[in-house]
Amino acid sequence: MISRFSFGWSFVFLSLFIGCERQEDFPNRPITLVCPWSPGGGTDQVSRQMAYFLEVELGTPCTVINATGGQGVTGHRRGMMARADGYTVAVITFELNTLHHQGLTTLTYEDMIPLISVNEDAAAIWVPVDSPWQTLDDLVADIKANPGSLTASGTATGGAWHLAFAGWLQSAELETSAVKWIPKGGADPSIQELMSGGIDLVCCSLPEAKQYYDRGELRALGVMAEETVPGFEDIKTMREQNFDWVLVGWRGFAVPPGTPADRVEVLRRAMQKIVSGEVEVDGDSFPKFMEQRGFNNRWRSSDDFHEFLARNDGALGKLLNSEAFASLAEGAVGPYDFPMILGVLLSGLVIAQVIVLRRTKSTSTATETPELISSSQNLTASSINVMFGLGMILVYILLAETVGFLILTALLLVLFLWRLGTKLTSSVVITVVLVPLVYYLFAVILRVPLPRGWWGV
Amino acid sequence: MELQNALMDVLSLETLLTILLCGLFGLFVGSIPGLTATMAVALIVPVTFYLSDISAIAAIVTLTAVCIFSGDIPTTLLRIPGTPSSAAYVDDAYALRQKGRYADALSTSLMFSVTGGLFGTLILFLCAPQLAVLARQFGTYEYFWLYALGLSCAAIVSGDSRLKGAIALLIGILFSLVGLSEVHSEPRFTFGSEELMSGVHFIPALIGLFGVSEVLRGLWASGDQNAVSPESDLSNLQQSDFSFAQQISHWLSRMVRRPLQTLRSCSLGTVIGMIPGAGADIAAWMSYTFSKRASSTPEEYGHGSEDGLADASAANNSSLAGAWIPALVLGIPGDSVTAILIGVLMMKNITPGPDIFTQPEQVRLIYGIYLSFIVANLFLIPLGYLGIRASGLILKVPQRVLLPIILLFCIVGSYAISSSLFDVALMLFFGLLGFILERYRYPLGPVVLGLLLGADLEASFVQNLTKDRSLAAFFSRPLAAVLGVICLLLWFIPVIRAVVRKNSTVQEE
Repeated sequence: MISRFSFGWSFVFLSLFIGCERQEDFPNRPITLVCPWSPGGGTDQVSRQMAYFLEVELGTPCTVINATGGQGVTGHRRGMMARADGYTVAVITFELNTLHHQGLTTLTYEDMIPLISVNEDAAAIWVPVDSPWQTLDDLVADIKANPGSLTASGTATGGAWHLAFAGWLQSAELETSAVKWIPKGGADPSIQELMSGGIDLVCCSLPEAKQYYDRGELRALGVMAEETVPGFEDIKTMREQNFDWVLVGWRGFAVPPGTPADRVEVLRRAMQKIVSGEVEVDGDSFPKFMEQRGFNNRWRSSDDFHEFLARNDGALGKLLNSEAFASLAEGAVGPYDFPMILGVLLSGLVIAQVIVLRRTKSTSTATETPELISSSQNLTASSINVMFGLGMILVYILLAETVGFLILTALLLVLFLWRLGTKLTSSVVITVVLVPLVYYLFAVILRVPLPRGWWGV
Repeated sequence: MELQNALMDVLSLETLLTILLCGLFGLFVGSIPGLTATMAVALIVPVTFYLSDISAIAAIVTLTAVCIFSGDIPTTLLRIPGTPSSAAYVDDAYALRQKGRYADALSTSLMFSVTGGLFGTLILFLCAPQLAVLARQFGTYEYFWLYALGLSCAAIVSGDSRLKGAIALLIGILFSLVGLSEVHSEPRFTFGSEELMSGVHFIPALIGLFGVSEVLRGLWASGDQNAVSPESDLSNLQQSDFSFAQQISHWLSRMVRRPLQTLRSCSLGTVIGMIPGAGADIAAWMSYTFSKRASSTPEEYGHGSEDGLADASAANNSSLAGAWIPALVLGIPGDSVTAILIGVLMMKNITPGPDIFTQPEQVRLIYGIYLSFIVANLFLIPLGYLGIRASGLILKVPQRVLLPIILLFCIVGSYAISSSLFDVALMLFFGLLGFILERYRYPLGPVVLGLLLGADLEASFVQNLTKDRSLAAFFSRPLAAVLGVICLLLWFIPVIRAVVRKNSTVQEE
């Protein structure tokens, strides 16, 4: 028993010691990159490549977590509101400059310290290779002839490529409602819908459609870049076709405001080395990866990036706040229509259930009622127990980021074990063995970032 | 010739070792609730840079196959579904465990997972290009009916009352609508919280509904000294006579007894798996529903039916191979694992697409993929057996010690998804919800599926109406019409039957 005890404690002390923050040698703990988009997508791929080379350059584990949903609100927010110690890096994308104009978040590019931008990809308008439209003028003529009958997609309503497309419509002096926008979860499902014949055209970035383009299944009518894009030489820009419209999606990295300047500098330097190809592993480098996947390699250092962000945000703000865009977000089906249908259905079913219950009650005596009643004398003891459980977990949630994983989890475990009837001494032993083990397993082996507190663990 | 080369690739020491290590890793990750195959694959990606092409792919294949089986371990032993697809048969698996037959339950699910996996591979091998064309037919109308079909299946087969199943399903769907959806740029039911914009994260909800509610039930029972805890004498009920030979013979006899049912489940799984966006979860639920419908003993389903367990396991594993069909042939990821896979392939200078079947160098690789599917599935048999034996140890731990440990893993698992305590809070909320629903005997499975697919159902509904405001358009395409009619039949047959029965009883009176 004693040996197990000392083993457990040495584990705790060891982890406490390892976890201690020492100002002088940043980074000495795993770094987390918060990606606002889902695994497998373009931003995720770029983030994971960056994490991979960052790990090589800084010599500390770098993990990507995907905080997805809310059209990017959640991930951006989580990255930018994280503890400002340099150990959490936010992956930021184009949407950072649109979401706040749409009133979906209060965060703007000014709420963070930009590190670097690594990629700028222009949007393009794609059609199947057998489409009758050869040029944008053909398309414009068709839209004018049949307003409101063509359908397009590429992303959610109000998403980046929807804005890109609507902006192009405006530049062609067409109503933004002249083509119906079918909201889809991303470029991949949109292209699939295009292939299945469900829609007429797709607006998305060049690399997202690259494989279909390479295979000769899709053709682009025009690209919204400043100039012709390498690798896509046969696609004319909008300007070349007399539409004054440019829209480029970008990806970059940032840290929360208040991050110590020296740490920001360490990250900046490492990332600049990576994007300029100075960090190589077996002949592979970050720029090589970008080129391979068809991602545009253009990068900006932090000052340049900051300036670019300001310009980009201003331009998008002007666009999004213009009158034509105000009605853009309104789809054919209101946001509460579907929940309403379900609500009506649900209340119908609940009423039916009540009727059924009444009927069975009158025929047989209360077989449907839960066991709640059978043991009513112990109701209070049981519900106190459940309340205790709920309360403890709630306290845990509230305090975890302050106190830290190890201490609070140990406390929670001991209390639960004791409450369920385990002796206090054995509870302590189990806890002392188990909690450091779980910490080691998740934080070290599986690289799951766990809540950090007073002692960094 | 290419096949021979590919065989050499797969049977090399490096690849076999990769498969073995990934198998062990997958067994471990999959059996922790909250840790998913996607996460395991994402973790392995940096390692694949150092591996040969075929080993890299074998690693991903093995992880997905093993993870989906090992998800059944907590499903059976702790009643916490390791994957959403295990939610289809969680009641059956747990009922068997309570009868002391956990090893039977797990070995059934293991052997039929392998069967499903091998069958899916065979289909992948024989007619991937042809089937991929079918996958390409899926537009928003087809998706709407497919989701509706999958969801209705869950409501119909779960629990003892269809009404309660439907109520549980609607609760699940309603929760899935929280947040900023992909079709509306307006946050719904978020009460001003930016955290809730991303909606209810699925994994914490799953862990809460099953795991935390179990812990709460334990707390409730321990406050009730008079009540005899049903779990207290479980340790005596353990199977001690479970051997490897038995596992195989058990499987063989079942295969001989129900070859057609197994075939049906496997084909259903493969076909659903290859439709991007639909996956193991819909496959498992639909297979379970058909299995129950066709069974001579439908009353056993939900109370420890090994047939249901076998059919659903076969379907969810065969759907994994199915998901590779559009990924390889069209470059369309069927799920997040294949999305990562496509990334890895491109890193290795392989572009998925129709050409992959014509260029000799690529053909060798394709054969390599098929063969690694087969090898990985065969490895799964002894690995799974070890897993089953080892997991039996959990049953030796008394409930009062086990429950707090479950809670510990629930918390860490929920947190692990995106490093957010908000997800832990969601877990707690759904734990309470699950606890309450359980007490009133509402099935939890439909809530899970509703949460998982509800938002997709709404998205396709809105997309359809945006294209054309008439309901007739829902049947405008042939495939959509077929799916729609099947779905409507599924809804209205019970109603019609009930009406007919009522009429006949009225006449008798």
